[in-house]
Amino acid sequence: MTEPQHNSLDLGAVRRRLARQSGPTYWRSLEELAQTPAFLDVLKGEFPAFAAAAATALDRRRLLQLMAASMALGGLTGCQKEVDPRKLSPYVEQPPGIVPGRARYYATATSLDGFGYGVLLRHEMGRPLKVEGNPDHPASLGGTSAIGQASILGLYDPYRAQSLTQNGQLAGGEDLRTMLVESGSALAARRGDGLRLLTGALTSPSLAGQIGSLQKAFPQLRWHQWEALNRDTERDGARLAFGRAVDIVCDFTRAEVVLGIESDALATAPGHLRYARDFATRRRADEAKAGMSRVYAIESTPTLLGAKADHRVIMTPVEIRAALRFIAGALHAGPPDWAKAQVPRADHLASLVADLATHRGRALLHAGREQPAEVHALCHAINHALGAFGQTLRAIEPVAAMPTGNAASLAALVADMQAGKVDTLLILGVNAAYTAPAELDWAGALQQVPQSIYLGEYADETAAQCRWHIPASHEYERWSDIRAHDATVTIQQPQVRPLYGGRSAHEILAMLLGTTQPDDYALLRSRWQGVSGAANFERFWIDSLRSGVVANSAAPSIAVAPRADYADAFPPLATGSSALTLLFRPDIGLWDGRYAENGWLQEMARPFTRLTWDNAAAIAPATAARLGLAQSDMARLTVEGRQLQAPVWILPGQAENCVTLHLGYGRRRAGPVGTDIGANAYALRSAGAPWSAGGLTLAKTGTGYAFASEQHDALIEGDDLVREATLAAYLHDPQSLKRKQDDASLYPGYAYDGIAWAMSINLNSCIGCQACVVACQAENNIPVVGKKEVGRGRVMHWLRIDRYYKGDIDAPGIVFQPVPCMQCENAPCEVVCPVQATVHDAEGLNVMVYNRCVGTRFCSNNCPYKVRRFNFFDYTGDDARPRESWNPDVTVRARGVMEKCTYCVQRTRKAMIEADKENRGVADGEVQTACQQACPTQAITFGNKSDPQSAVARRKASVLDYSLLDELNTRPRTTYAMAIRNPNPKIETS
Amino acid sequence: MAAIFGPRANFYTQIILIGTGAVVVVLAALIWILPNTGYATGIGFTPPQPVPFSHQHHVSGLGLDCRYCHGSVEQSADAGMPATSVCMTCHSQIWTNAAILAPVRQSLADDRPLHWSRVYTLPDYVYFDHSIHIAKGVGCTECHGPIGDMPLTYKATSLDMGWCLDCHRNPAPHLRPPAAVFNPHWQRTADTPSLAQLMTQYHIHVATLTDCSVCHR
Repeated sequence: MTEPQHNSLDLGAVRRRLARQSGPTYWRSLEELAQTPAFLDVLKGEFPAFAAAAATALDRRRLLQLMAASMALGGLTGCQKEVDPRKLSPYVEQPPGIVPGRARYYATATSLDGFGYGVLLRHEMGRPLKVEGNPDHPASLGGTSAIGQASILGLYDPYRAQSLTQNGQLAGGEDLRTMLVESGSALAARRGDGLRLLTGALTSPSLAGQIGSLQKAFPQLRWHQWEALNRDTERDGARLAFGRAVDIVCDFTRAEVVLGIESDALATAPGHLRYARDFATRRRADEAKAGMSRVYAIESTPTLLGAKADHRVIMTPVEIRAALRFIAGALHAGPPDWAKAQVPRADHLASLVADLATHRGRALLHAGREQPAEVHALCHAINHALGAFGQTLRAIEPVAAMPTGNAASLAALVADMQAGKVDTLLILGVNAAYTAPAELDWAGALQQVPQSIYLGEYADETAAQCRWHIPASHEYERWSDIRAHDATVTIQQPQVRPLYGGRSAHEILAMLLGTTQPDDYALLRSRWQGVSGAANFERFWIDSLRSGVVANSAAPSIAVAPRADYADAFPPLATGSSALTLLFRPDIGLWDGRYAENGWLQEMARPFTRLTWDNAAAIAPATAARLGLAQSDMARLTVEGRQLQAPVWILPGQAENCVTLHLGYGRRRAGPVGTDIGANAYALRSAGAPWSAGGLTLAKTGTGYAFASEQHDALIEGDDLVREATLAAYLHDPQSLKRKQDDASLYPGYAYDGIAWAMSINLNSCIGCQACVVACQAENNIPVVGKKEVGRGRVMHWLRIDRYYKGDIDAPGIVFQPVPCMQCENAPCEVVCPVQATVHDAEGLNVMVYNRCVGTRFCSNNCPYKVRRFNFFDYTGDDARPRESWNPDVTVRARGVMEKCTYCVQRTRKAMIEADKENRGVADGEVQTACQQACPTQAITFGNKSDPQSAVARRKASVLDYSLLDELNTRPRTTYAMAIRNPNPKIETS
Repeated sequence: MAAIFGPRANFYTQIILIGTGAVVVVLAALIWILPNTGYATGIGFTPPQPVPFSHQHHVSGLGLDCRYCHGSVEQSADAGMPATSVCMTCHSQIWTNAAILAPVRQSLADDRPLHWSRVYTLPDYVYFDHSIHIAKGVGCTECHGPIGDMPLTYKATSLDMGWCLDCHRNPAPHLRPPAAVFNPHWQRTADTPSLAQLMTQYHIHVATLTDCSVCHR
């Protein structure tokens, strides 16, 4: 929706309307519940904002200007020096193993938070093109995250820094070498006095080893760390509980009762992809052999785990602390008088406690990084009391090389900088100028440092302030190593030579240590030669590189026991007040802001708000009503005198009086894509209150804001689009859940005697993480269209994840539903195409023939699922990515052409050709669609439905299977397995 | 007042009417004929190459197999073009000083690829796979013409969609036994399996060969 809907929404009327209805009601937005006229318009239109776009037609003068400009540009394209497409350029010496036209895969790892997630990169003729999860890697098991999928776009990003600069002027590699080697020897003479190193969280054994050597060479060197989205509270919580720092590795396959305390276990926690997989295996009612788990969530703002929970309790941060104390007291994990204290939702919590108590050794508590140390300590104590250690989770030595707390470390650095104690500051990839706590005068302090050297991928905020900016290589361009959440090591091998001449941290440190010609490969090899202990090192090295995992490198468990007095240092609980609390949360796409330049991640709809290209101050409907704020109102947020303007988003399921603001937006110098997108939450974030700040005031500025939310894009209308049932009902009489499908027809059905491609999507498994959406974008050459076009409903994603709410607007249930093209057997789009550009093939695919399409858009109008996308402009031509980064197996669509999901026809066709060459059938599981392959929870099954033994046929035979809008008799090939919830019968659900 | 139409008005009218009709007929004929001319299809066109490579000499004269240079034709969509080093396997021993081979030696010396001109080009929305055609018994010469007798490589077929479909609708006449696929001079003999036998042997289902998704993705 482009137009802010001021005051068009009467929340009281919405509540009354909801109360009148009986049974579960699913809704997508408050506007839908209210049935506002604007919403009804959207529902009826195909590209509803098109009318608005047409109404604001160009005036004649502007039109002539644009025509002149496009003529000029059209002429200019003729001047570009292009690779002549009529030339063939073979190798001079063909590298062994390369077969032109056949993909090859190389293992490496991508990082988030310093932790590694194993990936395989698909190469075509030496060009890495697509990221897939590494099935052998314990933190991936074949799944990827949206950020992992989008990393390939980051590799090719032409706006990555390409030039080495000194004081803003171009410098040469020789200047850099001289500077580093000379300052290295000068520093060595004074034992490194005045030298400081600033890094983010790092787990690389080799880099940590190199820093160790640096510390030996320069004993006075001080190493500081600043990771904006650090896990200090987790570390402090472990210190409180056990007296030492540990990392926790969860095993969700063994957990029968899970309690997430605003848990990021499925979203961003180290190992989240593995956790999501394990979690999902225990959530499939019809397949989980060990029984379905029950999930509780206590949280202030919706999380992915909370959306999957059977019971989601919404509490403010203070209430969460009280609730956990209650649970700890009741389970003998804390002082018994805690169990007697007054807590909100006491009956609910009592049932939860009883459930946990009866599942000793099979229960698991997980708290998100945003929770205070106290909550983490309580979690550890309760997990210990429940006998979870050694069963559903284990403690290991901390994986990250983190010498000290992040906030204190950065504060100490800034203080020393201001005091003039720092003469050389080496920053390895930390954009501190953007992420530093608001009360620190980072920029002022940096001016006191005579020599500041920044190694960063982009010419960003920090690069602008430092004397030297060294363009960093992408992690797919360098040799290094990295540990996963369980300490498993991956040796990261470069996938290409640095495209833009970037350098690695290894190189910089080696030069500082006096090596004039650093060689990362030799460094890494020699280090592993020392520690591998392998009899045949060459074998070990090749095996580790090929599999992407260093065998047996996972950390062993360590025994921990909580201290008896762990709770003594807890601060008293503040009494409840109606003051607003500001919650800072990591963004699932931009993370701490470092991916702001990535168009795929900017345009990816956020799971709950469906927002693209923006963050927002998310508030509960009740809070909005109390403060007189409406959706899209601009508001002024004030914390401790610091101010920020951000638009308001009314978020059902948010705790009252809590305002969630995602970090990573409002970049000042991100690049042409990410600069000035959204509001910069760091402006309000202090070191003392990194995740939640009390004393917030929220005032209406009086102006409105235009969001680009996909909330009302592609709305479809039907009776029961999402279906849910309880486990009890399923176990009692599975057949009662079966939907009767009446597909009678006067015409005889078409016989598909060969392969019949089909897909089944399990709503129980889908966690709404958006990895499939970005994977589809990467595989199928889907362009980025920008905020304005998204606002007009022209987003190009072939696959979207619809988010439905159920029931109460204050505490709704949440269901995610991925919607690709349904590949209808009776496809409504095909009969209206005047040029037969969309037709069926023998495998039942609804094929889109781009070269036939003339752009009438009749098909899109006639599609009941709204899965067709139209190239209103030359989106692919306008895309700045280099042409060699497009997937060569998929046509790059031009302007005026309709497009849609094809079940990755390039993959199915390749598999069919391979099978045909060997005169055999395509085996089940031989083809994976891009979305299926990326999905961390294996929610998507794809295959040949004609083969009754195939996985997809078995899923479709389940009683839980249903199709979308089956009353239209479109006979979709994509069907859904309904969601099953496992609520505690002792808890009344609303 | 003078007459509006002069004495020659009838004559001009007839000229204009006949002329318009003639222009329409000629235009229609051109629209029909032009795409099928050699100029439009490129048939018979020999693009200039950095080295005047002769298939006739190497294949028919010396008996080199197609796959010696086009090594990935059985495994991949791309037939593959020979690396400079492949040329140099022989030409480091023979014709080592030939002037026409100077670009090849230069390529090796400079480590820069040779840039051959494409003889056959397909639009970007067409996905042709060499390997499946080879596996199904379609000989090289079916598309590449009498390649074994070409002193300089020229385009032998139009590659337009109608030409593709002719074969996809009725592939049998274009099939040969597996052993004969790379033989540029193969002729059907009395011992050759019949067309129907070949169709069965290769498991070719004509009904699905004209699906759009076979070639367009």
